[in-house]
Amino acid sequence: MMIKSLRRLLTLLVVLMSVSVVMPSYAANEQTSQQMANAEQSTADMWRAVKAGEVGTTAATEVEAGVLINTFGNEGKIIKNDYINPAMMAVVVGVFSIFLIFFLVNGPSKLTKGFSGKMVLRWSRADVILHWGMAISCFALILTGLTIMLGRHIIQPFIGHEAWAFIIHFCKTVHDWVGPVFFVFWAICVLKWMPRQTFKSYDLKWFLVAGGYINFGPFKGKHPHSGYANAGEKMWFWSLAIFGLFICTTGLMLVFPGLALPREVAMIAVLVHGVSAIVIIGFTIVHIWMATALSEGGLECMKSGYCDENWAIQHHDIWYDEIKANGSLKYQD
Amino acid sequence: MAVMKFLCDTKRCIECNGCVTACSNSNSEALVWGIQRRRVVTLKEGEPGEASISVACMHCTDAPCMAVCPANCFYRTDDGIVLHNKATCIGCGYCFYACPFGAPQFPQKTSFGSRGKMDKCTYCAGGPVPDFSKEEVELYGANRIAEGKLPLCAEMCSTKALLAGDAEVISSIYRQRVAARSNPNVIWGYDPQTAADFK
Repeated sequence: MMIKSLRRLLTLLVVLMSVSVVMPSYAANEQTSQQMANAEQSTADMWRAVKAGEVGTTAATEVEAGVLINTFGNEGKIIKNDYINPAMMAVVVGVFSIFLIFFLVNGPSKLTKGFSGKMVLRWSRADVILHWGMAISCFALILTGLTIMLGRHIIQPFIGHEAWAFIIHFCKTVHDWVGPVFFVFWAICVLKWMPRQTFKSYDLKWFLVAGGYINFGPFKGKHPHSGYANAGEKMWFWSLAIFGLFICTTGLMLVFPGLALPREVAMIAVLVHGVSAIVIIGFTIVHIWMATALSEGGLECMKSGYCDENWAIQHHDIWYDEIKANGSLKYQD
Repeated sequence: MAVMKFLCDTKRCIECNGCVTACSNSNSEALVWGIQRRRVVTLKEGEPGEASISVACMHCTDAPCMAVCPANCFYRTDDGIVLHNKATCIGCGYCFYACPFGAPQFPQKTSFGSRGKMDKCTYCAGGPVPDFSKEEVELYGANRIAEGKLPLCAEMCSTKALLAGDAEVISSIYRQRVAARSNPNVIWGYDPQTAADFK
């Protein structure tokens, strides 16, 4: 009973997500049924109906056994192989290279007043644990997911058959089991952190000076206003919230074959899963670059939960002023 | 070089399901509970224009399963038969989503109902392991091609509706049949249109 209602709910979700993908085949069906109505009974009409997905009767009991031909999956395969897979490759290589070049040209964003040595509480212990739980599970999913998506092109040609069989099997198993772990961390993080992530008017100005990270030209030395999270972090948060919802929903649909989803729904889930992964992976690369290399003193926040006071003033001035004013500012002992 | 195909003559298929039974029998060692590699679908059952078609893996020349498989476990034999390696298959189900004919199937035998290794029609051509080995029989079923025989489903078809063989050969057989039957009512005394009189 539960599986059945869950299946219905998931089906509805995915159909809503991607009505536009379904429309062409629906139009083809209608055209064919009109031809069927007008034409004499002939073999050509029968085969046309078969190709349009006419359902017959059969003694076989598997999913959609009565359907002789369903061309939807092949169209989905074309979208996946010709667009989504190359886009994923382009995003991984492209975003990484762009940030590498930017870092080499621009250098890190230094604290203008240097480190003060006084550490301000920014993330609670629970937040730090949640962050790393989500980060590690997400990273495992990215590596295994990339292998599942692109491994046959970038790994398999260079290794033996046995090794490839082991790697792909390992990746699939890890991807299946870590997925639900990520889902739990993701859900808690999104719900817990959402109140601080609403967009404010000063966020627009943050974008106009590219967050103050550029060390040359007219943007040099600019420090835009920012609350607890800056505009870039808010964009990252909402992308992860929205595409995380897509990727978790479709992931759960794909990992439970007991749901016995129609092939169209499953193929759409594969495509939505891939597109969401592209967005999340793109942002993840940016996020890791920003935290480890670009923003001096940034990584400290997620190591101890405390940030340098000068870092707080430079990067999150509105938040700093606020906690100073209401007395919730807490220094490290 | 041959390009092996199946062809089902809808004017001859009588929905006896003999091909299904022959397939299950021929590959019984490899088929776990719930897997049926071939099926017969009847369109417009009980109506004018009723037609039955036997369908399994069509061994596509441009196979979607082969193109979509993340493990790249599919391969094509010299005879144009699409086979797969169960040692590499990860049971993701993508081939089932991509296949227009619903040929790939998955045994559900593991915890949480996760998919086992994909199974589909092998054209009675076994798999990537040594011919006639115990492993081949248990994983992939019969290897009649290596014995110089055609798939059992087609061989046992009582009305010779289901043809298997080189595309050139079976399409010329079918062409001769169509020529002999001609169009409805063109030749006196023969109207191949099933139940057309009741329209």
